Amino acid sequence: MQNLSPRRLLLMGYVYAVLFFVLAPIVIILPMAFSETDYLTFPPVGFTLSWFTDFFSNSRWMGATVFSLKIAVLTAITTSVVATMATYALMRGAGRIGALFQGLLIAPIVVPHIALAVALYLFFQRIGLSSTVFGYVLAHSVIAMPFAVFTVSAALSAVDATLEDAAMSCGASRFTAFRLVTLPMILPNVLSGGLFAFILSFDEPVIAFFLAGIRDKTLPRMMFDDIEQNLTPIIPAIAVLLTAVSIFALIAAALLRRAAANRTAPEEAG
Amino acid sequence: MDDVVQAQTGTPPVRGAEIAVDGLAKHYGSLKAVDEFAINIRSGEFLALLGPSGSGKSTILMMLAGFEVPTAGRILIDGVDCTRLPPQKRNIGMVFQHYSLFPHMTVADNVAFPLKMRGVGRTERRRRAAEALKVVRLDGYGARMPSQLSGGQRQRVALARAIVYEPRLLLMDEPLSALDKNLREEMQLEIKRLHHELGITVVFVTHDQGEALTMADRVAILRGGKLQQLSPARELYERPANLFAAGFIGEMNMIPAQWDGAALTLGTGERMVPPTGAVVGTVGQGAVTLAIRPERLTVCDPVTPDALQATLREVVYAGAGTLLIAALPDGTEIRARVASASLPPALTEGETIGLSCPPEAMLVYGEEAAA
Amino acid sequence: MSLQDFFRPDGRHLSRGGILLLMAPFFMLIAFAFLYPLISLLSLSVTEPTAGFDNYARILDNPVYGKVLLRTLWTALLVAITSLLLAFPVAMAMVSSSGPVAMLIGACILLPFWSSVLVRTAAWAVLLQRNGLINEAMQWFGITSEPIRLLYTQGAVVVAMTHVLMPFMVLPIYGALRNIPEDYGRAALICGAGPLRVFTEVTFPLALPGVLGGFILVFLTALGYFITPALLGSPQDMMIATLISQQLREFLDWPFAAALVGVLTLFVTAITLAFSKIFRFDRMMGGQV
Repeated sequence: MQNLSPRRLLLMGYVYAVLFFVLAPIVIILPMAFSETDYLTFPPVGFTLSWFTDFFSNSRWMGATVFSLKIAVLTAITTSVVATMATYALMRGAGRIGALFQGLLIAPIVVPHIALAVALYLFFQRIGLSSTVFGYVLAHSVIAMPFAVFTVSAALSAVDATLEDAAMSCGASRFTAFRLVTLPMILPNVLSGGLFAFILSFDEPVIAFFLAGIRDKTLPRMMFDDIEQNLTPIIPAIAVLLTAVSIFALIAAALLRRAAANRTAPEEAG
Repeated sequence: MDDVVQAQTGTPPVRGAEIAVDGLAKHYGSLKAVDEFAINIRSGEFLALLGPSGSGKSTILMMLAGFEVPTAGRILIDGVDCTRLPPQKRNIGMVFQHYSLFPHMTVADNVAFPLKMRGVGRTERRRRAAEALKVVRLDGYGARMPSQLSGGQRQRVALARAIVYEPRLLLMDEPLSALDKNLREEMQLEIKRLHHELGITVVFVTHDQGEALTMADRVAILRGGKLQQLSPARELYERPANLFAAGFIGEMNMIPAQWDGAALTLGTGERMVPPTGAVVGTVGQGAVTLAIRPERLTVCDPVTPDALQATLREVVYAGAGTLLIAALPDGTEIRARVASASLPPALTEGETIGLSCPPEAMLVYGEEAAA
Repeated sequence: MSLQDFFRPDGRHLSRGGILLLMAPFFMLIAFAFLYPLISLLSLSVTEPTAGFDNYARILDNPVYGKVLLRTLWTALLVAITSLLLAFPVAMAMVSSSGPVAMLIGACILLPFWSSVLVRTAAWAVLLQRNGLINEAMQWFGITSEPIRLLYTQGAVVVAMTHVLMPFMVLPIYGALRNIPEDYGRAALICGAGPLRVFTEVTFPLALPGVLGGFILVFLTALGYFITPALLGSPQDMMIATLISQQLREFLDWPFAAALVGVLTLFVTAITLAFSKIFRFDRMMGGQV
């Protein structure tokens, strides 16, 4: 129908207002990273890069960043491997175990993170896993798992299962068939599932809040403390760094998606 | 709906709308989806808009319904200018390609929906919806959900919804294209019956020529947004107005020839004198096309005067009829569909045969008509 | 949220042993780092300090805790309603816009997923502080004559939580709206419905599964939300998540905190289960016609 009716204008006006509400806070915080004041204010006063040098020279911030990176990388690996194994089994006829799997899969989405965080706090304290890399990786893998499974299964269901049969009829073992035929086709989704797990882990604040000890804090936990106590421009400085990383990640994800589209595209008929 | 019940006894209750379309155009940027389209549709007429995809037939229907605003031109329904009237104010019935039954409403609620929009009371709505369902032979299906019906049944519900408020114009956008062949033929008859009983004007969009010929009083052939021919079905088949119409409807042999104003010279040098009526429109001297329907050709001795000599390439036997594929000496392919019983017993591929046709079966098209 | 349609077993089936082997890491992970910790926490709530439901009775008996529960429910509801009001037109605009515009809107909506929750919370803290942009703007426009307290209020929590959770509302509604064939709206129009009735009779009912899905998702996430109330809310106006944290970290009252977790978890699970049936019911009714 007519594209510029008054109704349409009203709708688009409202939508742009909503988008402003969504984007403004994200955009507005970035320039504050260069403010010379030691509190956050907008517009920023002066120009300095000292908050960036502070961040990179402070051993506590750097330690937290390295700690978080370690956890995020291991979470990404754990999640994508475990999710791929389980999803593959599910798509190849898991039967009743599959139903149990599906029930348990969405449980970490349903149960609030605070509940899991408190439960893990209690349990990990008892067995000495609190504020250890291993403990965090377990916790983050649990919450990232459903998303990784969804991503992998979307790719697996697009792969023609008879291709594997064909490979096996050529003499490949089941594992070889998976490794040489199916895995290359679903790899982009496996990787983007892993990437998602990485981001989720690296930005995870709630479990980090409860599991953190005095010394080994994750980056989100350090940020939480800074926001709660000082609210210095180090937060926007981190935001600028994270945004830069996110842009790289976005581009990487887009490339992965393109690769995925190419790999799972059906052959030409005939 | 009392009237509809009455209709089953014979007298059409509704006087169908008269439609006058003049200079209608729809341009999308530089693309002319519809250009200079004009037509007068008589009250109670069944008109088919026929054309390949992209011919503009659906766009015309969308403008009749009010979903698209024309770039130029006017649409009069019963003398009232409706060109810019929103669809909900046009009182038109419409059946969509994929039926578009509302999946969250029962069959009865779907059929009663137009009445609800017109403020008809609940009991009256229910009664008239039930009667409309009876008209399409679906009584007792009111409580079901659309998803519980077969394709043909959904089609009938869509019909019932389109006629329940007794519109005077019914638009159908390829309504049978989603049905399988048997069901499609059954629904063609059903729609014809309804049209006859209701006396409603119907505009029917299709890309299926058989469907258009079977159902419509008149067929409008469209190509590239322009009207090519508007004629009753029989004329359309027997005397297409131009080469496009000739090639679009049914099979047609197209033989290139030269025209000197009185006689044709084929590529082989053969001369033929067609009857004066064979020339369609005005044809200038020079290159023309001789068009002959394959079923009008008969096999004869190659030396028969006026017969076309051809080399038989293939004999495709199909029970009652046989398709002969042959080539004229200059390589032009020519097909003949003949009764199997009339064929000489021993036809071998590669032999030379004669093909003749009655003079009135010849049609001559000039170059300009090919546009 | 039925996953039945999502996973279609295909291809040559694996042996039972193979399936168990492949799924074992998943089950071990969930059992070790999810099920066991949760169950042992919940059992703590009914065994310590004495066996029974004393901890739960305490929540009900003390009006302070009752108020926290009600405030949590009310805040989550408010966040879900606000999100719906913001998200629905956005989803509609995305469906009805041309490709590039729809993609741009979608990108703007998805952008927050790529930025840190803590950074966004900090942004709101800056915007809402005493000499923040919003206070200055309000004085500039003459709405207020002097800075008012915006930060550390329930309003700040609602606004910031809506900002974080609203995108989760857009996606399911967009999905539902996009699945409505364009001809449905046309069919309703030609049947005589005006644009408003097309919306109330056809578009909205057909988008309802998406609306419900998004609403429940945002509502449940908001119920257990911790970061925003902890950083932007007032200590006097606690929500259940901040109360749990306080009981745990300040009073070290494990059994009571466990009971609060129990209430939250059971409530959230019950709603999810209740609505999973409705979702399936809706899918059955909303099947493609």
